[in-house]
Amino acid sequence: MDSPALPDRQPIIRARQVVKVYPAGGRPVQALKGVNLDVYAGEFVAIQGKSGAGKTTLVQILTGVDRLTGGEVWVDGAALHRFDENQLAFWRGRNVGVIFQSFYLMPTLSILDNVVLPIDLCGDYHPRRSRELALELLRQVGLEEHAYKLPSQISGGQQQRVAIARALANDPPLIIADEPTGRLDSVNAENIFQIFQSLVNGGKTVLMVTHDEGLASRASRRLILADGEIVADDFVPISVSEATNKTDD
Amino acid sequence: MVRPRVRKILADLWGNRMRSLLVIASITVGLFAIGVIATLHRVMTEDLRLGYAAANPPNIRIVAAPFDQGLVDHLKKVEGVRQAEGLRGFDARLESRPGEWIGIEFKAVPQDETRQIAQVRLVEGKWPPGDREVVIEQYKIADVNAQIGEWITIELPSGKRRPLKVVGVVSDQTVGAFASGPGFFLAPVQGYVNQETVEWLQQDLPYTYNMLYITVDGDSNDETRLWEVANRVRDEMEHAGGTVINIAVRGSYDHPNRRYLEALAIVLVLLGFLIVFLSGFLITNTMQAIIQQQIQQIGILKTLGSRRYQIILLYMGLILVFGAIAALTAAPLAYRVAFQRVVPLAKTINMAYRGPRFLPHVILLQVGMGLLVPQLAALAPILQGSRISVREALSGVRESQQGRRGWFDRMILRLRGFSRPTLISIRNTFRRKGRLLLTLTTLSLGGAIFIATFNVQVSMDRYVDMVSRYFLADVNLTLARPERVLEINQVLSDLPGVAYVEAWGTARSEMILPDGATGENVQLLAPPVDSRLVDPVMIEGRWVKSGDQNAIVLNERFMSDFPNLRVGDVLRLRLNGKETDWIIVGYFQLAGRSSGLLAYTSRESLLRVINQPDKAMTYRIVAEGKDLSKEEQEALGRAIEARMAARGIRVLDVTTGSYLSSSAAQGFAALTGFLLFLASLTALVGSIGLTGAMSLNVMERTREIGILRAIGATNRILLKLILTEGMLIGFLSWIIAVLAAFPISKLLSDSISQALFGNPSTLAYTPTGFLLWLGAVLILSALASILPARNAARLTIREVLAYE
Repeated sequence: MDSPALPDRQPIIRARQVVKVYPAGGRPVQALKGVNLDVYAGEFVAIQGKSGAGKTTLVQILTGVDRLTGGEVWVDGAALHRFDENQLAFWRGRNVGVIFQSFYLMPTLSILDNVVLPIDLCGDYHPRRSRELALELLRQVGLEEHAYKLPSQISGGQQQRVAIARALANDPPLIIADEPTGRLDSVNAENIFQIFQSLVNGGKTVLMVTHDEGLASRASRRLILADGEIVADDFVPISVSEATNKTDD
Repeated sequence: MVRPRVRKILADLWGNRMRSLLVIASITVGLFAIGVIATLHRVMTEDLRLGYAAANPPNIRIVAAPFDQGLVDHLKKVEGVRQAEGLRGFDARLESRPGEWIGIEFKAVPQDETRQIAQVRLVEGKWPPGDREVVIEQYKIADVNAQIGEWITIELPSGKRRPLKVVGVVSDQTVGAFASGPGFFLAPVQGYVNQETVEWLQQDLPYTYNMLYITVDGDSNDETRLWEVANRVRDEMEHAGGTVINIAVRGSYDHPNRRYLEALAIVLVLLGFLIVFLSGFLITNTMQAIIQQQIQQIGILKTLGSRRYQIILLYMGLILVFGAIAALTAAPLAYRVAFQRVVPLAKTINMAYRGPRFLPHVILLQVGMGLLVPQLAALAPILQGSRISVREALSGVRESQQGRRGWFDRMILRLRGFSRPTLISIRNTFRRKGRLLLTLTTLSLGGAIFIATFNVQVSMDRYVDMVSRYFLADVNLTLARPERVLEINQVLSDLPGVAYVEAWGTARSEMILPDGATGENVQLLAPPVDSRLVDPVMIEGRWVKSGDQNAIVLNERFMSDFPNLRVGDVLRLRLNGKETDWIIVGYFQLAGRSSGLLAYTSRESLLRVINQPDKAMTYRIVAEGKDLSKEEQEALGRAIEARMAARGIRVLDVTTGSYLSSSAAQGFAALTGFLLFLASLTALVGSIGLTGAMSLNVMERTREIGILRAIGATNRILLKLILTEGMLIGFLSWIIAVLAAFPISKLLSDSISQALFGNPSTLAYTPTGFLLWLGAVLILSALASILPARNAARLTIREVLAYE
């Protein structure tokens, strides 16, 4: 299902005919089958679908974590399909905050260091300023007092909040989260959702893969994937131009 | 605030201390070996050279008919002479044990110690010796069997015995300097007395000299120049009425055991390189495992924006810290061990050891290698790890590894007839083939060097055997003066135990070069033409035969020093002041360049040339029994001596065949002993490699171990699983080591042989090394597996299943 375009704004994400094929043993598996998608700044998009529908693959393509087999992806004007691995990494570090279901914090670094790490890798690192910024982010997610603990010393919900703070370290306009509440109880899941909501209110764009129907329904837009295709999109277009979509294709 | 990426390095280092220790140990052991090797190499090369030069050794030694101080003073004015000193040398025997006599070489020194050339260093007691006192050189002090303050009995060539008090022990760097062959090792006990003692010992013409030591001006290491000065001195000496018997030259840095050290240096450098390789393999192996464990973290870093070079730098930084810690650990350890090892070695090769010292370039070498080699060794795993895509890194599944199963895996899967746990062990052994290959390489190379050491030892023994083929007698008898051969034969023929006696002629001669100048000394040996006591190995031509006139057979040293000399050519020698021509009929192999210039002719030819009636000083005696022991040979020697004494024939020296062999072997024993020490080091590197690989294997399979325990595997089964795997690797490595030992033995043996003898070795093999290494590698494998196995057995199911 194609996503309709808004004529007066440029989308922050524009995906066209995105195909992804995995070489699984002798038989290649087509994980995405020509997906088209436009996401606009300030949207809170929930992506849903059954296991194997292609949600994670789509998120990985949009974050540049994985390379596409065919099609084109622009994020905030950057043509990801033309970038090599290194360019993707640098672009991602500055422009996208990525959050995973498994948190993926560095187990040997303190909470504070985990948050500073992206700035150190591709941001404008300054020992004192970076530390202050990280502490501010931790304060925003309510974890300032745990700044010097190791990830193993805090709960799963807290770890995910650290992952969010880390995703915000370089102040990216786009946050993409792959099942961020998948390993959390309902209270912690709600907390995380609230943080995302406040980020959207602050002008960020958030894409979130989730199985949680309740949370998805509260996003500003809901996409449903099945068998590598977008089968439902509750985005309400202001002016639909199928012709434009066809031209773009 | 320290950058988070630096913190990550430090945290990784500290967070997994066991793994960090393993990498550091891998690097340390290599650096330690290199440190020991470099220190020994440097100290020995430097001390041997400088120690010899510091003794102000003679550049020219002239043996002459007795002359006085007046002539010495006159010769000091000869162009090119810097210093000249007269010296009185003579041979005698000393009673080492009641009834046992060994040779002693005396040098008379002035009492006021004004001697400048060939200075000795006092080790113990006093110097110079007073009247009726003797100072002994330290190397063979044990043979003297007397302490300082005790008396020894000297027997002079005249048969008279005199007591001398041992008052000191000195180190003399020039022992063996002018003898041919492994002169130092074969040199007799050296004794130093004063001129008054010489008179008391009733030497003829006591206040005269029979040797002249000269040092030269300018370049004292240019042999051509040394010979020029030597010939000028000879001319002047003869002009002044003196009689020159023999001349020899030697450079100021040319220690008598220089070749021995060169051989040792080659071994050191060869093994140094091998150890660097082994250590490198070890690091590659461990780093591969570390990167494997860190793949997910690499994925996270990439997700957070880290570029490839940043990941590479991060892990290179980690390696840098590992290397720095290893260098800091290895350097002092190597310093300590190297200077401990050098002490006994210094005594063996008569090196003037100058004590432990700070060697900045060795430290630099260790630090440099500690920082560089691990980086090179880890480069491949780091590059490989940093290349992985974020998706693969996060999922932990590599597309390239999916679904592949080679013929070997299929074969392993088809194995039948083993219990399930044994099958698991076998399959686990071959699971990480890259790691197995590196582990096997490290362990096998270490083993191959270990085995090769024993083969080299046997090859060296073979060299001694080869030398023995030219001296097959059980007892060598040297009389105080030439005696009629018929008479001596008669005296010995009815002595019980004596089967056969041969009279040999010996003479020292000098080569006369085509331009008429005097060349090097040539030792002439002249057995009877039908001698049964020489079994030569011919390289070219033939041995001397009946009917030959002035025929001569030369050793291989002539071939390398005078490549233009061919069979059929004429060689001019000066013998007893008279020049004679000899026809070269063949070349034989003795012991390469270490043996000096040696030639055999028939006794008949020699007697004719020197115009001597049928008399001889040297007799070689064969016992009736075969393969006499050292004790039996000594007993026969004593019986011969007693018989000679009973007949009033004065004996200068009685040496057993086994004494000669063991003296020649003494130097090699030290060499191979040292080689064994280095081989043990390589074996240590190998076994650390195995411990590392086993620990990593177990570490990576922690989750599997948990599952096995969950389904009922006991501690004993787990131990058995891991032990079987370790010992299987050990056994496989032994098979490879056996195969690799052949070329490595050849390489080591040839290198030593080239340095010592100037020709490739006659390599021999012994099962000792092969069997010892089999035992050692199985024990090492078991030990290397026990620690990781115990650790695995201690883990609870909850811990192992939670392992990330």
